[in-house]
Amino acid sequence: MSVKRLARLGVLTALALIIFIVELQIPNPFPIPGIKLGLANIITVYALYRFRAGEVCMLVFVRVLLGAVFCGNLMALLYSACGAFLCLAGMIPLRRIIDEKHIWAAGVLGAVLHNTGQMAAALLVTKTPALLMYYPFLLVSGCLAGLFTGLCAQLVLARLAKSGIS
Amino acid sequence: MKQKIIILVCAAIFAAGVIGSAWVLLSPKKNTVNVISDGKTVRTIDLSTAADEVFTVEYGGKTNTVEIKDGRIRVQSAECPDKTCVHMGWLESSAMPIVCLPNRLVIEFADADGGVDAISE
Repeated sequence: MSVKRLARLGVLTALALIIFIVELQIPNPFPIPGIKLGLANIITVYALYRFRAGEVCMLVFVRVLLGAVFCGNLMALLYSACGAFLCLAGMIPLRRIIDEKHIWAAGVLGAVLHNTGQMAAALLVTKTPALLMYYPFLLVSGCLAGLFTGLCAQLVLARLAKSGIS
Repeated sequence: MKQKIIILVCAAIFAAGVIGSAWVLLSPKKNTVNVISDGKTVRTIDLSTAADEVFTVEYGGKTNTVEIKDGRIRVQSAECPDKTCVHMGWLESSAMPIVCLPNRLVIEFADADGGVDAISE
């Protein structure tokens, strides 16, 4: 990997972490674990379309790990790591199918996969099948939040391409 | 063509979520409540006869304080970072248990999946 790519990945990771921490300050009106905007995933979706698979994995892994350290909730690390893993496993093949006019769909599917991974982890940890009752709410919120972050990433990619920065 | 399939999948997931949410929200309340800590039922309470009470449930050194009042149940306070269980307020729907993920505490109406457990055992 060239130094330039490494530096860009580092800057993107820092950006994602800043967005992640700022988002923590926004009060969450929905009292259900797992529902959030996930604004940091704008960076993930952007990276998905501009970097190689391994580089995207590194970015997401570092962001999830450092995010959990910064917000001081290591229990949440397990859930977000499982969500991120499933999300990456699904989206890295899917990015070849979804073209750059439909990146919002990548946001939606990524968010839903993330919620699915989180839910699976929570089910395994708590051994409580009743948790599944949250899943429909997670699907709805994941679709809406993913649509938003996906659209943001789509606009960013289009603007950057127009101004000649990849 | 592939793009259309992707869009359809997104729409289908969203529709499934909306239908599922409606089903969960419309499920009626029941009388019997199970308090489950780390997968084990520690207390079963009949809310229609239960006296007002405050008790604590401990897991891994952290406690959740559960309050029963006027035939309703909620988590009054919790020693966890996010306090999601406290913000959920009173237990309202049989399909929506109160959950504290860090302390592995679940409060749910008993009939909601008691039947499934009985069959699977």
